[in-house]
Amino acid sequence: MHIMEGFLPHPWWEIWFAVSIVVVILGVYKLKKLTERFPEAKPLLAVMGAFVFVLSALKLPSVTGSCSHPTGSGLAAVVLGPAIASVLSAIVLLFQALLLAHGGLTTLGANIFSMGIVGPFVGYGLWVASKKVRLPTSVGVFLAVALADLSTYVTTSVQLALAFPSTSFMDSFITFGSIFAVTQIPLAIGEGILAIFLFDFLVKYKGKLLSAMNVIGLRVGLQSQEDAK
Amino acid sequence: MAILLDMRRGKEQKNKWHIYEEIGTEMSHFNLSAEIDRYAYTNALSKNSPVTKLLFALSLLLISVLSPSPVAPITVFLTSTSLILFCAKIPLRFYLRLLWYPTLIVALTCVIIALFFGYQEPLAEVNLLGLRWIIFRDGVATGFTTFFRVAGALSSQFFLVLTTPMTSILLVLRKARVPKIIVEMSLLIYRYIFVFIEVMETMRIAQELRLGYSGWLKKLRSLSMLIGNLFIRTLDQGERTFTAMSARGYDGNIRVLEDLPKPSNVALAGIIFFAVALAIIAYLTMDLRIV
Repeated sequence: MHIMEGFLPHPWWEIWFAVSIVVVILGVYKLKKLTERFPEAKPLLAVMGAFVFVLSALKLPSVTGSCSHPTGSGLAAVVLGPAIASVLSAIVLLFQALLLAHGGLTTLGANIFSMGIVGPFVGYGLWVASKKVRLPTSVGVFLAVALADLSTYVTTSVQLALAFPSTSFMDSFITFGSIFAVTQIPLAIGEGILAIFLFDFLVKYKGKLLSAMNVIGLRVGLQSQEDAK
Repeated sequence: MAILLDMRRGKEQKNKWHIYEEIGTEMSHFNLSAEIDRYAYTNALSKNSPVTKLLFALSLLLISVLSPSPVAPITVFLTSTSLILFCAKIPLRFYLRLLWYPTLIVALTCVIIALFFGYQEPLAEVNLLGLRWIIFRDGVATGFTTFFRVAGALSSQFFLVLTTPMTSILLVLRKARVPKIIVEMSLLIYRYIFVFIEVMETMRIAQELRLGYSGWLKKLRSLSMLIGNLFIRTLDQGERTFTAMSARGYDGNIRVLEDLPKPSNVALAGIIFFAVALAIIAYLTMDLRIV
């Protein structure tokens, strides 16, 4: 979903920048507090970031001035919370622009908004909701991650449709959305399944840290940890 | 410090990646990122001040994105391409390899925009097997300006990417008072991206040597094993690095000698002059229409 450098015309990229920067600043504040209390969480945070980088660099081309790929930010949101996930995504998107020329510097705001803000917040919301209604952990993780991925692409379609309206906004939204949907639905399902395994692993090996950080539900974390023992 | 030293071993990395290329991996993106990184450290402009290069690339980028007509973006494209090829001495073949893929995608997208978008003034009517298709003037205009805008913006982005090492960009960010935690996380993530790639390539080669990719089912099995273990291995390695750094007094600050070259005043003045001239060109050609 990385919109290419220069693809968004004049008023739009500034608008997305303005929207994203607010959430990223909030995330930086939370990240600072978290790392002050738990310096040992830094490797996990950084590996999570690198994971988002690698997953979202596995791209398929798409004729929308953008591309299709898994995002990884859903899992980051489930494990670390949406605000921190948005900072990690912002850093990763900057790196992808600078290391791979994938996405761009002017479109950074729009890309952060779709992959780093909407995706994580949707994923986290679903994760919290699924815990409330006591769905099994794996189902919750799957739903959160798969829908975080899909909602990212819906957002990108909205962004593209706003910037390039054909006869109407809806018209162009449907065009962009349907181009993305072909590749994105299987990718989202794949990412969801992958996330189940990774989450399981994280809870097993890092459950103590995670529940101490109080970002994943205490009960889920400890229960699975005891299961592992 | 250890991390930075590790990053600066451009030459050793080169040999390593070269070996991987010979074995022939399919993970071309990741090789690409390693290769771009290598050029960023070894190009002919790598010793120039990163502030100058950052300023130059960002000003060209802004002008080509804000310019309503294609004249300024085309100038930007020509300028940064010639700087990349003749001043930074990036091989033409590598630059084309970077450029052809996004250009192709953007060209396709812009053709679609030109054909399907727009509604104001019909430009041409096409009869396709009884179907009437109207192409609109504003759709074609949007397609054209978008294509050139992307071309200009991409080339200035490539200029920055290919001439400026990530570590110096991060040092500039640190000087610009970006929060410490962001710079630190960026450094760690930057390091772990390459750990990730390295671990992945090592495991892939091991699997391939054991005929792990010789059939469709085996491929699927190997790939899932690879992805599952990738995270575990990288986190493990990341934690060991962190423990080692903590044992050596790491407190959240990576203190390095900031031996960044100073920006020369002549270069800065030249960049400002060029940017202003370009902005004036962009302003004067505002009402220019191609179609």
